[in-house]
Amino acid sequence: MPKILLVEDNEMNRDMLSRRLQKRGYEVLIAVDGQHGVAMAQSESPDLILMDMSLPVIDGWEATRALKAAVETRNIPVIALTAHAMSTDRDKAIEAGCDDYDTKPIELSRLLGKIEALIGNTGKNS
Amino acid sequence: MSTKPFVEDIETYAQDIVDTVREPLLMLDTHLRVQSANRAFYETFHVSPNETEGQLIYELGNGQWDIPALRTLLEDVIPASSVFNDFELEHTFPIIGRRVMLLNGRKLRAGSHAAIIVLAMEDVTERRRAEADFRAIETYAQDIVDTVREPLLILDKTLRVQSGNRAFYHTFHVSAEETENRLIYELGNGQWDIPALRTLLEDIVPTSSVFNDFELEHDFPALGRRVMLLNARKLQAGHHGELLVLAMEDVTERRRAEEEVAKAKEASEIANRTKSLFLANMSHELRTPLNAIVGYSEMLQEEAAEQDLESFGSDLEKINASGRHLLALINDILDLSKIEAGKMELYLESFDLNTLIDEVASTIQPMVEKNSNTLHIERTAELGGMRADQIKVRQALFNLLSNAAKFTQQGSVTLNAERQVMDDSEWIVFRVSDTGIGLSADKILRLFQDFSQADASTTRKFGGTGLGLALTRRFCQMMGGDVTVHSVPGEGSTFTIKLPASVGDPKADFSEDNADSPDFPNAGNNRNTDPAPDPSTCVLIIDDDASQRDLMRRFLTKEGFCVRSAGSGEEGLRLARQLLPLAITLDVMMPEMDGWAVLETLKSDAVLRHIPVIMLTMVDDSDRGFAMGADDYVTKPVNRRRLTRILKRYSCASPPCPILLVEDDSATRSLMRTLLEKEGCVVSEAENGEVALVAMQRERPSLIFLDLIMPVMDGFDFADRVREHPEWRSIPIVVLTAHELSAEERRRINGYVEAVIQKSGRSSEELLNQVKDALKNCGVAVSSGLSS
Repeated sequence: MPKILLVEDNEMNRDMLSRRLQKRGYEVLIAVDGQHGVAMAQSESPDLILMDMSLPVIDGWEATRALKAAVETRNIPVIALTAHAMSTDRDKAIEAGCDDYDTKPIELSRLLGKIEALIGNTGKNS
Repeated sequence: MSTKPFVEDIETYAQDIVDTVREPLLMLDTHLRVQSANRAFYETFHVSPNETEGQLIYELGNGQWDIPALRTLLEDVIPASSVFNDFELEHTFPIIGRRVMLLNGRKLRAGSHAAIIVLAMEDVTERRRAEADFRAIETYAQDIVDTVREPLLILDKTLRVQSGNRAFYHTFHVSAEETENRLIYELGNGQWDIPALRTLLEDIVPTSSVFNDFELEHDFPALGRRVMLLNARKLQAGHHGELLVLAMEDVTERRRAEEEVAKAKEASEIANRTKSLFLANMSHELRTPLNAIVGYSEMLQEEAAEQDLESFGSDLEKINASGRHLLALINDILDLSKIEAGKMELYLESFDLNTLIDEVASTIQPMVEKNSNTLHIERTAELGGMRADQIKVRQALFNLLSNAAKFTQQGSVTLNAERQVMDDSEWIVFRVSDTGIGLSADKILRLFQDFSQADASTTRKFGGTGLGLALTRRFCQMMGGDVTVHSVPGEGSTFTIKLPASVGDPKADFSEDNADSPDFPNAGNNRNTDPAPDPSTCVLIIDDDASQRDLMRRFLTKEGFCVRSAGSGEEGLRLARQLLPLAITLDVMMPEMDGWAVLETLKSDAVLRHIPVIMLTMVDDSDRGFAMGADDYVTKPVNRRRLTRILKRYSCASPPCPILLVEDDSATRSLMRTLLEKEGCVVSEAENGEVALVAMQRERPSLIFLDLIMPVMDGFDFADRVREHPEWRSIPIVVLTAHELSAEERRRINGYVEAVIQKSGRSSEELLNQVKDALKNCGVAVSSGLSS
């Protein structure tokens, strides 16, 4: 079962997205801030990370940079979730090392497509 | 000898002298009667001796000498002082006109003669006129100087003030007496003794004879702190010699006003930023709870469907739709404020129009059906793709279609799309027509304004923010197109969107596609000093979509590839010939020359044929691609890890390929070297990781064979260092090992290493086969002639 780490501080967004992903056969791990997210990525080696960008402690951009700088986590794909549908935010996310991005509110089928593109056929376990 | 002739001789002699004098002379007796005159007198006044001699001076020439001033002179001054000098008499004489005469009088006693008065007249009319002219010129100059509203000082060479103008005296509250003939530094208790001015006047002016707009800020006693703009010019002024004109312009107010403007500008910028920030924050705050409303209602809808709770479903659908509607409104307001702030950006990409239209149609279908309308889609067969901001095109179409659906009952809504050529360029034209209520001419005028629906009652009846059309128009204008409307009240409306088929990028980055400046990964800012990398280590990206090129370049650069890009098929072919790159990634869907055509050209060219081509496709067309000679394919959205892995397989496209052999055992080194050279590779050797790092500085190898257990720096550390170096990250590493790797060792090299070769306990033939496999898998070309 592919393992997805969801880093999101908003409880309801966390609840919704994790339930919907679980329903579609993903194992979902939760982190509530950027620092927690980086720690979880290191200890749990998820197949993919969904990263909210405006997070407490350290924000999503910084967390992504930390993940991409560390040997153990640099190969885990990160999808940025941003509430602002601005191209500068997209650029900022890609700049930080995110492999893809999606905007909130989540359109589940679109997000699932992006997740599958990143871990579908060449996931870590394959 | 008688005395008489002697006296006569003297008199004649005297008369001759008198006649020779060029000034008119009159000799009068003490009764002021003319004794005689000289020739000059007769000639000047056009009279004869008869008319003159023996006459009273006042009777001469019909009383022309009867002048009160002369009477005073002759009757009062002479008797008392017997001399007068340079009496200036201006008088209108009957024949010669107005003259200025300088009179000199002297009472003489000449031997036996009674006393006589010699009156000498010098006609100074011309001289006086010249002097007056000169004075007039000087006055004229002074008048000009005085008229100038800037304070002026005229200085001589020694910096002594010759004069100031009225503005100077007025501005600095000083008089001419306090100013003239003083050193400029002495003026007004030394208020002009300013170091900056001294430098100017003593150092700059003497060498350059002019200076412009020197700004001097100084506390003047009478004026307070002022900013003066000084201009100076050296003049050659006739007999005055060399003068320096110093003009001072008081720019204090102007500077103050400029500061005010700058401050006001800054304040308004801050206000604008605050507003943008406020809107961004507000939209975030509003969207967060909306996300929950939209998300949970959607989840409940799913669950209601699963549990067959149809009655819940429709209510949940209403909650969901209202949430989405509110979200759309918030987005509209945010978009409009972004446009106002000039912050709206275009995100240009190429997309297929049929796909777009299908998506828009399926989204709008429920809205159309709500008012019992039918939706018609009309499109020409060769619609193809366009390059624009897809999100904005979609939004514009959606706005027009939802308006049409809203204002039409039991009618039809039609979306028509076609490609047109106008003015030698291609345009995409969308028409949205309805059979609804239509619009009157005056309503059309107000239609595209912000927050303005055709009339206020419309808002109550149909809802909406009134922002949709304003946004639609702004979006279209941003993309170089526009929206127009044609409407007949009661019959319906047609809105027409025209957009360029390929929207130009307003901030196109020319350097990006510049073949002369490849983007090579670099750790610092030494881009300009590094030697240009060997183009044969570069990956060439051919894609018409700038953002796609940018994304690919960023992550490939991060993976250690040198990247160059081309925005069209033609440009791509040109660069391919010029660079002979390591590999090419080729987008299939491009305008004009598409990816298949580029692939065909590449594979039919003897020089370019061997360059690996990776096709990027929207759909999995791999069969067609392989059949046409593509070396690999990746579907969009691009799976980066897959693409990197593919590209790493092409480390060296043409032999001889440089190989680095890192191995402490010299016997193994020489065996490996023999095997590799047989395959046409160029081998350099290093006996440990540290030596290898030095060797890599000299030459970037296409492939590294790496022993793990070595002194000084072992293979694990070396591999880490290679991975850390952005330019080396893409070099494939093949591990040579004498023993089975432990789980821990495998973990350490995981993700770095392309292959592991068992070097011990193998025949050299077995080893050769493994090496050959490794070369092949890593895309290292071997020269066929030498290969066994």
